[in-house]
Amino acid sequence: MILVPDVVSPVVVAIYAPAVFVGIIVALIGLFGISIEKNDLQVLILTDIVGVAMLIIVAAVGTDLAESLVLPGLVVELAEILAICEILMSREMRKTGKSVSLIPTPLNFDMEVLQTSPVFIAVILVIYGAFLSGFTGGAIAGGGILFYVMSLTVRGLPSDLWEGIAGASGIAWCLWLTGFLVLFVFPNYWLLGLMLAAFGVFIKVAFKAGLIGVMNREEFRKE
Amino acid sequence: MVVSILGSQIIGIIPLGDIVFYMTSFNLFMFAAALVFTFIIAISKTETQIEAEFGSLGDREIKVAKKEFKFRRFLAIICGLATAGAMVTGDLFDFTLFVCLIGIVNIGIVGAVKQVDVLDSAFQYGLIAMIASTPLFVGASLILAATGTISILAINSLTYTTPMMLFGSILLFLGVAGETGVAPFFATKAEMFRTPGSPFLLIIHLSSLLIIVRVIEILLIINKPF
Repeated sequence: MILVPDVVSPVVVAIYAPAVFVGIIVALIGLFGISIEKNDLQVLILTDIVGVAMLIIVAAVGTDLAESLVLPGLVVELAEILAICEILMSREMRKTGKSVSLIPTPLNFDMEVLQTSPVFIAVILVIYGAFLSGFTGGAIAGGGILFYVMSLTVRGLPSDLWEGIAGASGIAWCLWLTGFLVLFVFPNYWLLGLMLAAFGVFIKVAFKAGLIGVMNREEFRKE
Repeated sequence: MVVSILGSQIIGIIPLGDIVFYMTSFNLFMFAAALVFTFIIAISKTETQIEAEFGSLGDREIKVAKKEFKFRRFLAIICGLATAGAMVTGDLFDFTLFVCLIGIVNIGIVGAVKQVDVLDSAFQYGLIAMIASTPLFVGASLILAATGTISILAINSLTYTTPMMLFGSILLFLGVAGETGVAPFFATKAEMFRTPGSPFLLIIHLSSLLIIVRVIEILLIINKPF
């Protein structure tokens, strides 16, 4: 019993079963690695291979519904690996009695581009990001903000401007959620929902990347 | 049109675009139970734990600090809401995501404590939860591949079952068992309950209980053994 419509090429249909087997083999390799490895950190990294196997099998279905599971699956894997990393770190800190900062080594940037034209590059990146909008645009604009904060720090200028950014990021996140609710509850206003979601996520991602700059600035001064 | 799921009549559906929540008396009861417990946990205070000291007659008091207490209460409420959502959702992918959320939040509830043993156990539970998310999502995607839909209402009206759906259901059940840490994986979770702060730990138990009941309902709907 085959549910695939006729427009799909038979080659694509024939790939499904091999893809599932590849996924199962990858998962078994990962599990075998976990069973013989005794170091906790190595086990954590090997667990990620099992997650990749999950993505392979889900992506093998190849419909839009499957795509809607690939992204949450990836996010769930990332969230779990971050949570377990935190637990591992806090356990090691309790054991040794020392606390560790987010970025343990002080960073030292001595690049010419940070001295000469930081504003130009940052503005170009932010404008290009605003033009793209959505998640990608947010990442690019955030890169621009991050670059600007980095250049300010390297030149030794004060950069206290960014403290309130966390609040704006939260409000933009709410815009994004509202956009999605509009899409579901009032499908007639889909354009409004789409715009709210796109620009909410743009501002949020941009500021999120900017926040990394704020946190790093404290580390730069440590040297 | 009268639609019945496993013999009980559907009271109503909440259509939100593609995502449809459906209510039967069975789902509604579990939904209400999860919400009531979440409310009780939201207003309750943690209890102080007394541990006997080894080799002497003294006792040791373990209290939960205010900051940790707030954080854990927040995570416990999220866990309760995710459980309530998983009870009424009519969408298989939503269900898997709610189960994953419960797994992550369970790690978080015990992640903030200061005992090394408990952190060790939480680490092992986290590894199992992460490995178990593979069969969970793979099971859901195999069911999608075999039926062409993930809506439980649509699967309910199908007249056939294939071996692929059975295989997907077994994987789904394995995934849920690992993610909530029930019987075969309970050893990873046992130490976690030595954490001080009783009401927040109860939600871990309650969520795994309700989720297991619900996943059995979903598997019966998919495979139609009767």
